[in-house]
This record gives sequence, C-alpha cells and structure tokens, in this order.
Amino acid sequence: MTGSNSRTQTIPVGPLHVALEEPMYFRIDIDGETVRGVDINAGHVHRGIEYLTTKRSIYQNVVLTERICSLCSNSHPETFVMAAEQIAGIEIPERAAYLRVICAEIKRIASHLFNVGILAHLTGYETLFMHAMQVREIVQDVKETVFGNRMDLAALCIGGVRYDLDAETTAFLTASLDKVALEAATLAKTYRSNGTILRRTKGVGVLTRDDAVACGVVGPVARASGIQYDVRVAAPYAGYDRLCVPVPTLPDGDVWSRAMIRLTEVGYAIQLIRDCLRDLPEGPTHLNDRPDIPAGRAVAKCEAPRGELIYFLKTNGADEPERVKWRVPSFINWDALRFMLRNAKIADIAIVVNSIDPCVSCTER
Amino acid sequence: MTRLPEDLAGKLGAAAPSGIDYSSTVTQHGVTSAWCSLANSEELVPAAKVLLDLGARLSMISALLLPAPEEEEEGEDAAEKPAKEVPMTFGGTPLDGTSYEIDYHFDLGGDTLTLIAYVPSGGSIASLTPFFRTADWPEREIMEMYSISIPNHPNPSRLFIDPAIDAAVLERLIPYSVLVNAASTKALWDKVLAAKGGAS
Repeated sequence: MTGSNSRTQTIPVGPLHVALEEPMYFRIDIDGETVRGVDINAGHVHRGIEYLTTKRSIYQNVVLTERICSLCSNSHPETFVMAAEQIAGIEIPERAAYLRVICAEIKRIASHLFNVGILAHLTGYETLFMHAMQVREIVQDVKETVFGNRMDLAALCIGGVRYDLDAETTAFLTASLDKVALEAATLAKTYRSNGTILRRTKGVGVLTRDDAVACGVVGPVARASGIQYDVRVAAPYAGYDRLCVPVPTLPDGDVWSRAMIRLTEVGYAIQLIRDCLRDLPEGPTHLNDRPDIPAGRAVAKCEAPRGELIYFLKTNGADEPERVKWRVPSFINWDALRFMLRNAKIADIAIVVNSIDPCVSCTER
Repeated sequence: MTRLPEDLAGKLGAAAPSGIDYSSTVTQHGVTSAWCSLANSEELVPAAKVLLDLGARLSMISALLLPAPEEEEEGEDAAEKPAKEVPMTFGGTPLDGTSYEIDYHFDLGGDTLTLIAYVPSGGSIASLTPFFRTADWPEREIMEMYSISIPNHPNPSRLFIDPAIDAAVLERLIPYSVLVNAASTKALWDKVLAAKGGAS
C-alpha cells in the first residue's frame, strides 16, 4: 500500500492485533523500518454508556460507572459519587475518606503491575512478564479477600464506602503489602538494570516536556515527561489531604521512564495504604440514609491509575441525572502517540502504544 | 485556597463584553469549581484565550441537549390561556428542548473553571483546537453526536461513529438502548432492597 508521500508506505496495525489488548486501528505511514506518520481510528467498542447513565437513577449509576472499565473500575464510581456528594453537600465520614484511599491505591498497584508486566511480554522477556503477573496476583488475592471481587470492588457508595476492614482483613492486607513491596523492589531493580529491557525502552517513544504540555497528557505519561501534576495533590479528595503523597517525575519521557514512574508509584501506593492503616479513625463508613441529590452541577476529578479522570454531573432533582460526562486519562493520552511514534521503528510500535497504558473501553465508553 | 486568579471574573468579563454569569464553589478540601456562562457564544474564543494566557489546560468538553420546560396539564380552560413564552438561557438561547449547552472544563493548577456556551439546534460554535490540542477529539465527538457544527475545526473527521452514518446520531437514529428502552431487569435491585428491609 502506498502512503500519502510517495516514499512511504502505509501499514495497518489493528484493530485486532496480537499486541493490542483491545481494538484500536492505527494507520501507520512507514519509510523502510521507520514510522513517519500515525493516524488513529477509534470507535470499535463504543457502547453509549453516557446515554445509559441518563436512563438509570443516580444511585444505580454508581454500579453502572464501575463497569466502564476493569483496570480502573474503582476510579469511575469514586469520581461519580464525589460529584453527586458535591451537589448534595455531603461530607463523608472520616473513616470512609481513608478507606477510599485504600481501595484506590490497591487498584493502582494492580494496574501498574499489569502494565509493566505487559511491557516485559512485548520485549519478549516472558520470565519477567510472569514474575510481574505473579506479584500482581498477590494484589488480586487482596481484592478478592477484602472486597469479594477481583476486579470490580463495589467499594463506593454516595456518602461513604460499602466495605470495612477488621483485624483479620487488616492483617492479611498488611502481610500481602509486605510481600508485594519486596517483590516490586526486585522488579524495579530488574527494569533499572536488565540489558534487554534497557535496550528496548531507553530513548524509545520519547515525548518531550513541551509536547507533553501541548498534548495535555496526564498521569504517569505526564510525570515521565517531567510534568509534576497529580490530582491527589493538586485537587485533593477523600483522605489525600491528610497524607503525604509524593509525585515522582523523570525528565526523559521515554518508554523506560513511564515504566519506572509506575514502578515507583507502586511503592508509594503501598506506603499510602500503610499510612492509612496506621491513621485509620474509628467511626461509621457511610451515611445511614440515602440522601436525595438535588438539582445542581458539579465537576469532580481523581487520580486514576492512568491519570486525571474528570466527571461532570448535572442534575435536575429527578432520580435520573440530566447529564453525566467523563473524560478518562487514555482519551487525552492517545494524541501523544503521534509524537512518541514519530521516527520510531516498526518493531517498537507495540511497546510505545503499551507505554501510555491505553484503555479503549474507557476511551470510547 | 483557590488557585484561580482573583480578578478572573473581571478578565473574562472584559473578553466577553456581551455579558457573563460567574459563580464559584469550594469543596471541603479547598478545591474551587468556577462556572462562567457566556451570553454570546461567539465570545468563546476571546474568553478561552484569557485562560490560555493563564496557562490553563482544557480538560474536557461536555455537550448536552437542554430539556424542554415541563408542559402543564391541559384543563378545560387551556384554550383561553395565552400561549406560554419559551424560557431563555442566560444570553437568550431558547429553552425549547432543541438547544445545546456546551461546557468547556479548564484546569488551573487543580481548580476547575467551566466556560458555558449555548447553541441553538443546527447552530455552530468556534473550534478551540487551534489553541488547545486537547479540544480536537471532544469537538469531533460533539459534531458526530449532536446537531452542532464546528466550522473551523482543523480535522472534522469522524471520531467514533462510521462516516456512513448521518451526523447528530443521538437525534437521528434509534440506538439499541432506546429500542429496548434502556431497560434492564430490576429484580436484583428489588432483592437487595428487600434484604435490607427497604421498600421493594
């Protein structure tokens, strides 16, 4: 196939491709082995969930929004309930604020480990892939034990949380975190020093700080390009304003930097959970009644594993919301691939795409 | 403490001389959400440029079809009553069930300012993509979902919906979810409520 430039050819990657977890179509102009241009074609899993939210009651939408995506499933209802609570003027109990941090950070650890695991798989380092997934499995066990589910935690409700920790689950969580911390440090050491990983990721898929600002990227993608922005610090919510939340940054903006930011954040997330367990106040975990949500509007945002997740909620006093709109971090981060893939090698396309930790289900809703 | 400049309302008012309606709220964590409705949607670009100069990031664009006012039940003397005037938005866009509200959510160091423009059905609004790259995808999505045109968008191709399908898909087609009345069984919901001792 001949591309727009007579010296280039066009190749398709996707929508169904062995290196893509979900369907996305990339139309890539190549010159020999080098990428010259990228066109992204989306829409393969567009499901109209935003429309559905206006047909469900505000309380039912807590359940629906958790099903937009699996890896960051907790972040969707978390942000949605924050918007509803803003409109209703609800302040959640102090214990709930800490419990919200705990479930969010557990999801962050699992999500980040999954991404760095897939990176190892794409470099052909299958042992490292299995190691990362094995460590993630400890977190999956935590989720199953504490929440009863391995992906959708069903932890959130308007006015608080739907779970609590007792002595037994706290002990299990603490012991599991110790195991993950040890293993994650080993993983980080490997990603920092292994020749295969370094050769495939260092200087690959570079997004400069200026380009990152222009694209408006968020989350680990932004932080790996030197942008020190994290919603947990910039616009604190739940219990984050009582905690010390470090925001790691790296200057190089390559695939390796994005992986290292995620591995670093695994360690920080573990520390945040430990801090919460140390400071966890006694008291109720949620409001006892189910308050009506009056007419109003609100914007709420949280730091999902992939970055800033923002919700707009408009209500008119009815059971169903008038409009629910959200923008996931992947939606904004796709655009940066045009910069990351410029002059990349064909063999690196999958690694670079994976490095933004893309979520198509989230993007297309 | 708000990170929005103290004179932000004044700056936006100067950029949008037809008038603005400005308000703000602060969460218990000190995060500010400000709202600025524009009387004239043609003043969107000058207002957005104020935010660009302040280093704002365009986080999201939300569009919504504004609902029509609720109709009163017709009584015997309904014919004698004068026709009710159609209510208007701030700025004079008719609230007859066909107009749109477009919300541009900007991030300023963690705080949010939302610029609100009103557009009648079939109307148009200027693109912010030349100033904010992050407007590209949301504006394309708005064009394919609603009967709104964005004439100077640099790449007005479809985002999610196939080009073979007419624009304003939400208004011209019957999505499957409408076909089934967006309904699902509420048996489980009733069961949960019954188990908790609430009304079924």
